[in-house]
Amino acid sequence: MVKVRIEGLKKYFDKVKAVNDINLEIIPGEFVVLLGPSGCGKTTLLRCISGLEIVTAGKVFFDDDNITYLSPKDRNISMVFQNYAVWPHMTVRSNIAFPLRIKKHSQSKIQEKVAWAASLLGIDNLLDRYPTQLSGGQRQRVAVARSIVMEPKVLLMDEPLSNLDALLRVRMRAEIKKLQEKLKVTTLYVTHDQVEAMTMGDRIAVLEQGVVQQFGSSNEIYHNPVNTFVAGFIGSPQMNFIEVEIVNKNDKLYLTTKGLEILLLDIFKERVSRLSDKRKYILGIRPEHIYVASNKPVEKVASIRGKVYFAELLRSDTVIHLEQKFGLLGIKAPGDLKVEEGKELEALIDLSKIHLFEKDSHKAIF
Amino acid sequence: MNSQKIPLLLRIRPLITIFIVVIILIWFLTPLVLITLSAFASSDDYYQFEKVIPTHFTLHHFESLFFGLEAWKAIINSLSVAGITMLLSFLIGLPAGYALSRYVFPGKNFLKLLCMVTKMFPLMVLAVPLLIIFMRIGISDSTWGTSLAHTAMVLPIIILIFSSILSGVSVEYEEAAMIFGLSRIQAFFHITIPLVLPGLAASAIFAFNISWNEVFVATILTLTNRTLPAHILKTAMASPDYIKFAAGFIMAVPAMVFIFFVRKHLVTMWGISLK
Repeated sequence: MVKVRIEGLKKYFDKVKAVNDINLEIIPGEFVVLLGPSGCGKTTLLRCISGLEIVTAGKVFFDDDNITYLSPKDRNISMVFQNYAVWPHMTVRSNIAFPLRIKKHSQSKIQEKVAWAASLLGIDNLLDRYPTQLSGGQRQRVAVARSIVMEPKVLLMDEPLSNLDALLRVRMRAEIKKLQEKLKVTTLYVTHDQVEAMTMGDRIAVLEQGVVQQFGSSNEIYHNPVNTFVAGFIGSPQMNFIEVEIVNKNDKLYLTTKGLEILLLDIFKERVSRLSDKRKYILGIRPEHIYVASNKPVEKVASIRGKVYFAELLRSDTVIHLEQKFGLLGIKAPGDLKVEEGKELEALIDLSKIHLFEKDSHKAIF
Repeated sequence: MNSQKIPLLLRIRPLITIFIVVIILIWFLTPLVLITLSAFASSDDYYQFEKVIPTHFTLHHFESLFFGLEAWKAIINSLSVAGITMLLSFLIGLPAGYALSRYVFPGKNFLKLLCMVTKMFPLMVLAVPLLIIFMRIGISDSTWGTSLAHTAMVLPIIILIFSSILSGVSVEYEEAAMIFGLSRIQAFFHITIPLVLPGLAASAIFAFNISWNEVFVATILTLTNRTLPAHILKTAMASPDYIKFAAGFIMAVPAMVFIFFVRKHLVTMWGISLK
C-alpha cells in the first residue's frame, strides 16, 4: 500500500492546458475515482501518474519517492486500459504471465501467481485461449488479472468498463470494487460515469477543465457540492438551476423569481444574511427533493403548481417536467404515479435540501 | 407450402462471380503457362505451331542459359541485390515508418510528401548522374551500388507502407508493455513487430520484387556484375526464342517461390486484419 501525492501537476499540449495545477493526496489502499466529462483532463492526469505522459510541471510522489520523471516500467504500477490492450498474439496465460516474466520470476512462481490471478477473476478455464476467442467481458477480466498479478504499488484504471454492455458493467463494477478491497492496492480509476464513481470510489475527484473541482466522499459530493458544475454533474436527472433574488419580507428571507417564492429555513439564514442582496444567485434543487403533493414525507415544504409538460415513464421512477414561469422544473416521482401530460400538478419542494450558488463565481453558499 | 422463388438474378449471381474469376485467371495465367511450356520444349517442337503442348521435355535451354550465357552469376547477383535492398529498406524504413505513425512533429506532412517527390522524376533523369557519382566513389558495377540505387527506389513507398501498417497497431498495446516492464524499444520488438508480421512480409515481397524485376538502373550502373534482368536483356534477347522463354521462366519462378513461402503471413494472423 502506497500513498500517492500529486503536487502542482501541470500538463500542457501546446497551448491546451489538459491538466492545470492539480494537487491530490491519496491515502494508502484508497480507491479514488477521477470523474469528469470527456476532455476534462482525467485521462491525462492518469497518464501523467503512469509515466506514459511526461509532465510539464509539478511532482508525483509514491510515499516519499519522487517518481515524476521515472519511466513507466520502473514505477511498479499497473494499468487497465479502456480497450483492454490484451495482446492478441499471446494466449491468456502468456498475457497474464507477461509482467512476471519481464521481472524474471521463477517458472514455479509465475505459474502459481498466474493461477492465483486467474482464479480471482474466474478465468482459469480460458488460460490457453487467444484473446480473439474471448468476449469483451472475458478480455476485460484478462486485463484486470494481468494488472494485479505482479501486485503493483498503484493500480491505474482508464475507463475499464466503458466498452462493456450495461448488465456486465454493473457486475464488473462490484467485482472490481471487491477485488480492490481484498488486495488493498491504492487505486486510481478514471470514468465519466457518475454511477461508477458513486458506487466504487472511497473518494471522488471531480475534474473539469484540468482542475479538480471537488475531492471528497460520494456523500460530500452529492450533498455538499462546492459549485454549480459539481452539483449539475452529479445526480440524475440533473439538478434544477433557477436564477433567484434574495428578498427580505417581515424579517423573513425569501428566494424569489417569477412564479416562485421559497422561504429560507433558519439553518441557512446565517450564511445568507451576510450576503449582499444586490447580486444574483442560483437556486439548486435536486429532482428527487421535490415531491408530488399526494405523497408528502417531509414537513417544511414550498408548494408549487404547474402543468405537466412531459413525463418520462421509466416505470421504476417517473421524471416529470413541470411548466413554470422560470422554465421547466424536473421532478423525480415514484414510478406508480399516475401522470397525464398537460394536466395541472402540485409539487412540494423540500426546503431543507435546497442549494444556493453565487451566480458570478458559481460557488456554493450552501 | 407456398414458398417464394428466389429471384433469377440472385440465383445466377454466384455463376457471374465464377465467370469473372475465370476470366481474370486466364488473363494472368496464360502467359505464365505458355512461357513455362515453351521453356521446356525442345527446339523442334517450339517451331511447330500445332505442338503447343510439347512432345519432348528438355532442360537444354536452361543449360545453355545458365552456363553458356553465365546466367547463374547473374542470379546470384540478383539475389544478393534484392536481399540487400530488402534489408536496407527495412533497416531505414521501420524506424522512419514508426516515427511517422506514432509521433506528431513539425514538417511531418511535408516529409510524407517528400517521399512521393522522389518518385516524381523519371529514372532516366536520375540514372546517368547516379552512375557518375557511383563511379567517383568507386561503387559502380558492384552489387552494393545497384542495391543502394534499388533501396532509393523502394524506400519512399516502404516508409509510407510501414507507417500505415504500424498505425494499425493500437498504441495501447505498446503502452501496456511499457507499463508492465518494457522500454519503448523493447515494446516495439516484443509486441509491435509480432503483430505487424503479416504486413512486414508483404512489404518484403514488395521490396524483393521491385529489385528483382528492375532492369533499367541495373543495366546502366553495372557492366560485369549484372543482375538477372539486365543480364537477360543483354544476352538472352540476342539468342533464339526458346532461350528467351527459359529466361522468362527463371525470372518469374524465384518471385513466385518467394511469395509461396511468405504467403501464409499475408493472410491475417491471429484474426487481426491490418489495413
